[in-house]
Amino acid sequence: MGWYNKRLAKSLWVFHISGSPCNNCDIEILDLLTPRYDVERLGIKLVGSIRHADVLLVTGIFNQKIAPKIKKIYEQAPKPIFVVAVGTCVSSGCCFKESYNRVEKREEVIPIDMYIPGCPPKPESMIEAVVKLVGVLNG
Amino acid sequence: MKANKIPIGPFHPLLEEAEYFELTVDGETVVDIDMEIGWMHRGHEYISEMKTFTQSIYLVERICGICSTSHPIACVHAIEDIDNIEIPVRARYIRTLVGELERIHSHLLWLGLAGHFIGYDTLWMWAWKYREPVLEMFEIISGNRNHYGMMRVGGVAQDLDSAKVVELYKHLDMIEKKMVMISKAAKDDPVLKSRLKGVGVLSHEDAIAYCTVGPTSRASGVPGDVRLDEPTDAYDLVDFNRIVLQNGDVYDKLVVRVLETFESIKIVRQCLDKLTTVTGPVLNNVKEISPGEGIGRYEAPRGEVFHYIRSDGTNRPIRHKVRAPSYVNIPSFKASCKGIPIADALITLASVDPCYCCTERSLKIIDKNHDPCSFDLLKASREKTERIRREINAD
Amino acid sequence: MAEVEQFIRDMGAKIHAKIEKKRRLYFNVSNDDIQEIAEYLFKKMGCRLSTATAMEMYHGIEILYHFSLDKTGQYFCPRVVIKDKKNPKVNSIASIIEGAVWIEREMFDLWGIEFIGHPRMEELLTINHPGTVKHPLRFKEAA
Ligand code: SF4
Repeated sequence: MGWYNKRLAKSLWVFHISGSPCNNCDIEILDLLTPRYDVERLGIKLVGSIRHADVLLVTGIFNQKIAPKIKKIYEQAPKPIFVVAVGTCVSSGCCFKESYNRVEKREEVIPIDMYIPGCPPKPESMIEAVVKLVGVLNG
Repeated sequence: MKANKIPIGPFHPLLEEAEYFELTVDGETVVDIDMEIGWMHRGHEYISEMKTFTQSIYLVERICGICSTSHPIACVHAIEDIDNIEIPVRARYIRTLVGELERIHSHLLWLGLAGHFIGYDTLWMWAWKYREPVLEMFEIISGNRNHYGMMRVGGVAQDLDSAKVVELYKHLDMIEKKMVMISKAAKDDPVLKSRLKGVGVLSHEDAIAYCTVGPTSRASGVPGDVRLDEPTDAYDLVDFNRIVLQNGDVYDKLVVRVLETFESIKIVRQCLDKLTTVTGPVLNNVKEISPGEGIGRYEAPRGEVFHYIRSDGTNRPIRHKVRAPSYVNIPSFKASCKGIPIADALITLASVDPCYCCTERSLKIIDKNHDPCSFDLLKASREKTERIRREINAD
Repeated sequence: MAEVEQFIRDMGAKIHAKIEKKRRLYFNVSNDDIQEIAEYLFKKMGCRLSTATAMEMYHGIEILYHFSLDKTGQYFCPRVVIKDKKNPKVNSIASIIEGAVWIEREMFDLWGIEFIGHPRMEELLTINHPGTVKHPLRFKEAA
């Protein structure tokens, strides 16, 4: 898939889903699009449908009600797709660890390729993550 | 009458949280709306009973990323209400400063999104661009862009030194200048005016019956504003106005928010002035919380945040109830969405500034005979704006 | 304050175990009287229903309504105590106050309290939930 990934890395199209976050991570993701950080200059674009996406950004602790929907969205995605988890919520559960409504193993819902820690991560660290992803894709 | 149902959600392509709406439409007109929530349910009230009082302040901060200081303020008010704890004057100013800065950034955020929904992306980019200096101010104050962690029972966690105050003045002047420009672009734009005037009216009676709060009710002539009704912190020491408008449509909600932003800038400036002169500690040490119950509230950008805490004398609450403003504002869609065209539904749903914006795009219309045809709410909304723009330009 | 005195004068017979604090008035009412009290506070005094809190104590389930009088910042908090923990039932105030519909549905969802006369007694937060979450805020022994 080397040649394919290289072409993918030129312009990553991103789809974003939120699985029970506090929506701060989501706002910071949107912040990336606005003039201060403007990731569109790197060829990254937020798209409206999962069927156009190369990268899936997920946030939140995945509550039990939303987990099947996230799984469904992942299944609808064209492969290969790279799943990037934004925020501490996805990696460790943040302060919601004791919640009765949390999915214990988020990796079983969808396979996650990359974690960005932080609550919320700074936009700079998200950009760095994207740069790293591009680096990996380029081999 | 043939009624069609349009499901919206639970995932929407662009924004924040997942919600599910079901619009029942007759031709172009919305006749009923139903909502299903619970996609974001994390069980805060349950978790909070396992945390100490100080820990639960950090927990409630993570209820919502936009009002991430309103919940902690209401929470510490509730704990202070149990024992009538007094806080130092300097801490009162710092609390108000943080709370009002948050209102500025939240209103700017909403303004941008409202522009985006009706196809006015310039406004979106502008509003979000000038929201950045506010986040920078937060970074100066607390070290973090969001989730500031400033509140404590009995005061605030960090003091502000005078070098920081000078920096804050600079940023504030810049924001005020840009706000004047944005408000001109939003308030006096003829397209925006004719697009939003008379859309999604929430009448005065409905606003009272649904117990709505915040800008949603203040645009319908209900004067409630916790900052003035029950002045806590520094709100009785600063001077600002109550903004109440009468029409209840989306345009009035926009104007309320724009005017409130200017009031907030005024308050922030007064707080900064006072912080250069008032000295003293910022935190009273509170050792114990006695048994009892307390109610704390605060005027968040979206309306009244309500916290109820019951303590039994240990270091944990035995009950912690949280009521966010969107919780009472969202049911009012039932009143404001009835009888409006579909193209207006999106902006009406967005107009209460719900803590989720799943209203972005509908997936499918399911016909009575279950004939799915795709229909795009966002596109319908933008097309209407475009039509109005052309008509105005033709005149 | 004048409003509080007026309220106590009018409704005195129905109010038990009153606790008065600065700007707060907590009192117990019986299940039969809650509708009348709510109507008086909402329609006559012009209060706004802020929210209602349910909590499980050892002596039963308590429901605490919070009515806010926005003019003065005064809170009126009538409390209904239900002794029957297995099968709690309360009279609904949703027919008087439209805004109580969601509040009561949430209490039904998280505690299993049934509101008599509610227009739509369904779960609010865990509706269509695929898992086994049922009345999560009740004590585990009682469930
Ligand atoms: S990681 Fe933090 S900021 Fe991000 S969704 Fe979770 S609680 Fe919110």
